[in-house]
Amino acid sequence: MTTGVRCLPRLFTVGAFALLVASVVVAGGSTALQAAETPRRGGVLLAVIGADPPSLDPHQESTFANIELVAPLYSTLLQIDPYDYPKIIGDVAIDWKIAPDGSSYTFKIRQGIRFHDGSPLTAGDVKATYDKIVFPPPGVRSVRKKAYTAIERIEAPDPATVVFKLKFPSASLLANLASPWNVIFPKKYLDQDPNYFKTHVMGSGPFKFKNYTRGSTFEGERNPDYFVKDRPYLDGYKFFISPETSVRAAAIRSGRAYIEFRDLPNAEVDAIRKQLGDKVTVQETPMTGQWGIAINNTVKPFSDVRVRKALALGIDRPTMSKVLYQLTGLRLIGGLMRPGSEWAMPEADLEKLPGFGRDVEKNRSEARRLLADAGYPSGLKVTLKNRNVKLPYQDFAVFLIQEWRKIGVEVTHRPLETAAWFSDGQDTGNFELIVAPTVEFMDDPDQFLGRYATGSTQNWGRFSNPLIDDLFSRQARALDPHERKRLINELEKVVVENAYYIPGLWWTRNLVHWTKVKNYVAPPNHYTNQKLQDVWLSED
Amino acid sequence: MRTYLAKRLLLIVPTLLGVASLVFVIMRVIPGDVALLILGGDQAGQIDKAQLAALHRQLGLDQPLLVQFGTWLWGVLRLDFGTSLWTGRPVTEELLIRLPLSLELAILATIISVLLAIPFGLLAGVRQDTWVDYLVRVISIGGLAIPSFWVGILVILFLVIYFGWGPPLEFTPPWVDPWKNFQQMVWPVVTVGYRYAAVTTRMTRSTVLEVLREDYIRTAWAKGLRERAVVVRHALKNAMLPVITLIGTEFAFLIGGLVVTETVFTLNGVGRFVVDAVAHRDYPVVQALVFLIALCFVIVNLLIDLTYAWFDPRIRFQ
Repeated sequence: MTTGVRCLPRLFTVGAFALLVASVVVAGGSTALQAAETPRRGGVLLAVIGADPPSLDPHQESTFANIELVAPLYSTLLQIDPYDYPKIIGDVAIDWKIAPDGSSYTFKIRQGIRFHDGSPLTAGDVKATYDKIVFPPPGVRSVRKKAYTAIERIEAPDPATVVFKLKFPSASLLANLASPWNVIFPKKYLDQDPNYFKTHVMGSGPFKFKNYTRGSTFEGERNPDYFVKDRPYLDGYKFFISPETSVRAAAIRSGRAYIEFRDLPNAEVDAIRKQLGDKVTVQETPMTGQWGIAINNTVKPFSDVRVRKALALGIDRPTMSKVLYQLTGLRLIGGLMRPGSEWAMPEADLEKLPGFGRDVEKNRSEARRLLADAGYPSGLKVTLKNRNVKLPYQDFAVFLIQEWRKIGVEVTHRPLETAAWFSDGQDTGNFELIVAPTVEFMDDPDQFLGRYATGSTQNWGRFSNPLIDDLFSRQARALDPHERKRLINELEKVVVENAYYIPGLWWTRNLVHWTKVKNYVAPPNHYTNQKLQDVWLSED
Repeated sequence: MRTYLAKRLLLIVPTLLGVASLVFVIMRVIPGDVALLILGGDQAGQIDKAQLAALHRQLGLDQPLLVQFGTWLWGVLRLDFGTSLWTGRPVTEELLIRLPLSLELAILATIISVLLAIPFGLLAGVRQDTWVDYLVRVISIGGLAIPSFWVGILVILFLVIYFGWGPPLEFTPPWVDPWKNFQQMVWPVVTVGYRYAAVTTRMTRSTVLEVLREDYIRTAWAKGLRERAVVVRHALKNAMLPVITLIGTEFAFLIGGLVVTETVFTLNGVGRFVVDAVAHRDYPVVQALVFLIALCFVIVNLLIDLTYAWFDPRIRFQ
C-alpha cells in the first residue's frame, strides 16, 4: 500500500513546484513573510468580481463567477495546498491509501465535521457527492464527469471511510479528487433534489452563507464551528459584482474593495500601483489557461492539412506575446501543456513544430507555399467567429487577423454574444475558425488533452485521429511520470503538426490586492485557493 | 373627459399586446438558446442532445410557440410573470430587487433636470443671443454630445485619483441609510441628470422662443404688462406642452434604458437586468421587463396627455 502523501512526488516533480514558486512575483513583500506575521482575527474581506454565477452548484458550473463566491462555504475531499501549488493535501480526508495496482483509493474521513445546519459530515455525504459528479442522474449536469471515467463505483463501508474502485489505473485521479469544484454536499438534500444546490447553499466550509443579491453582492460570515481550530481569521467576506473592468479597478483604487481574484489588465495594475504604492501588492503568476484557435476540420478548405498548417505557420508568436501581454495578459508561448509545468514540451522540440520556429519570415514563406500547393496561390477568405468579450478574446483575434493577412488570408471577424457563440458556433459546428479558450484548475494532462480525442464534447474542431485517441488513453493510465510525459509530448506533436488546433498563448494572472490582505498566495488560476480559511486582514 | 379617459385606457390593451407579441417573436427569432447556455457553461463544448431535449422539456421550451405565448399571457393577466429560466427565481422577485433603485434614479434625475432646465431654458430664450444664452447653449450642447456613461467614468476617476474616494458599490435604500444612499446615488443622478437637463433645456429654449413670437404675447407687451408677467404667466405655460412630453418620455426611458450608466456606477438596476436577460435568452424575464417598460411608457403618455388639458384649456373643451 502506498500512502497518498508519500506517493505525491511520483506525480509532481519538485522541479515544477520550484519553477512555479519562482515565477510568483510579489511586489511589496514576500508571501513567505506574510505567513510569518501574527494573524489578526476579525474584519470582512471585500472583493470585486466580474459576473454573477449561472447557478450556485459548482458541480454544474465551470466559471470563476461560481467558484470564487461559493468555495469558502464548502469543504472538499482533498485540496491543492494553498501555499504550495500543485501539492495535494487533505481537506475532509485525513489520510488515503492507493492500492499498488492502482485499482482502488481508500480515504479516511475526519470525524467531527459538521455542516452549517449542524448535521455531521460522513463518508455517506462524500459518496453521495461523488456519485452525483461521476454518475449524474438524468436531468443533472456534471461538467467534469469525463475526468472520472476510471471510476467504476464508490463505496462508503463505514462513516469514516470512502473507497473509489477503479476500472483501470488512473494517473490523474488524485489530482482530480482535489478539484475545488467537487464540494461536498449533505446527502439528505441531494436525496430530496439533486439540483437543490443550484439555488441553495449548505456546506461545511470556513464560512456560512449570509446573503446573495443577484447583480450586486454575495456575502459569507464566519463559521464558528469550522473543523479547523481557530479558523477562519476573517469575520466574513463580501463580493461586489461588477461586469466592468475599469469599475472593478476603481473599486480597488478607492479602497471600496481589497482584492480582485481573477485578473486586471496591466494598464489598470500600473495605475493602481502608481497611486497606492506599497499599500497594494501585485502577485503575477502564470495561468493554467490558453487561448487558441479551433479549426473546423470537417469543412473545406480546412479538411486540407496544408491550409491548416499555413494558418499555424502564419503567426509571429514572439511579437504576439509582446503585444498581447500588455493588453490582455496573454504571454507565454507553449504547446498544449503549460510552459513551465512538468508536462510541457521542451523548447527545442517545440521549435520544430509548425509556427513555433524562430525564423518568422521563413515560416511565412512556407505558409504561402502550402496555400499555393493547396490551390490558393492568391490566398483565401475565411471567417473567424469569436465571443464578444474584449479581454482577451477580441484583442487576441485582432492580432491574428493582421498576422494572417501577411500570408494572404483575409479574415472576417465575427464577434458573437455568448448565446450565439454557442448556438451558432461551437455547439453546432457552424464555423470555419473559432477562438477557443482552455482554462483548467491545474496542469492536469487529462483535463487539457481530453478535448483532442475523437468524439469529445470539447473537440470543437471535430477531428478524429486514432493515434491521438490511443496516446490519450495510454497517458491517462501511465503511472510512471516519465513515460506519461513522453506520451503526452507525442500527442502534442500529432495535434500541432497536423494543425488540428492552433495553440495561441498561455495566459498570465495579475492578482492585485491591498497589502493588508495577508496569507493569500496566488496559484496559477483563479479556481483553487479560494476557501479563504487562512486569509486575514492586518487592519480594517 | 371621462369618455376620453376610458378610450385611452382601452387603447392600452392592444398596445401592450402588440409589444408583447413583438418581443416574443423577436426573442425566438434571434439565434441562441437558454438551455444551451445553461448546459454549456463557459467552455463545455458540444452538448448531449438527450440532455438538451430534457432541459427544453423542463423549461417548457418544447411546447409550440403559441402555447408558450398563451401560457405567458395568461400568467400576466393573473399578475404572474413566470420564473426566470436562468436563475429559477420568480421574475417579480428579481424585479423588485432592482425597481426601487431604477425608480429613485429616474425620479431624482427628473427633479434635477426640471429644476435646471426650465429656468435656464427660459432665461436663454428670453435673453436670446446674449452671453447668458450662449453659455446655456454651450453647456446644454455639451450635455447632448457627451455620452453620460463617459461623464460617469470621468466622475469616478476624478474622485478616485484626486480624493482617493469612490462611491459605495452596493445600493442602500434611502429609508435604510439616507447618507449612504446619497453617497452612492448623487453621482449617477448628476451624470444622468446633466444629459436629461441638457435635452430639456434645449427644448424649453426653442419653445419659449417660438411662443414669444406669438400675437398674444405682443398683445401682452402692448397692454403694458411687466416682463415677469408676460414671460411666466403667458409664455411659459404655453411653452410647456412639448417640454412636458419630453420630460415624460425621458422619465419612462430612464426606468430601463440606463444600462451603461448602471454598469459604470455598479447599480443593480432594471437596465442591466434587461440586457443580461437578453444575453441569457431568458425569455420570461425579457418579456416581462419589456412589457413593464412599455406599460410605463403608456401610463406616462396618458398622464402627459391629461396634463395637457390643465396647461391648455382648449384641449379640455375639445
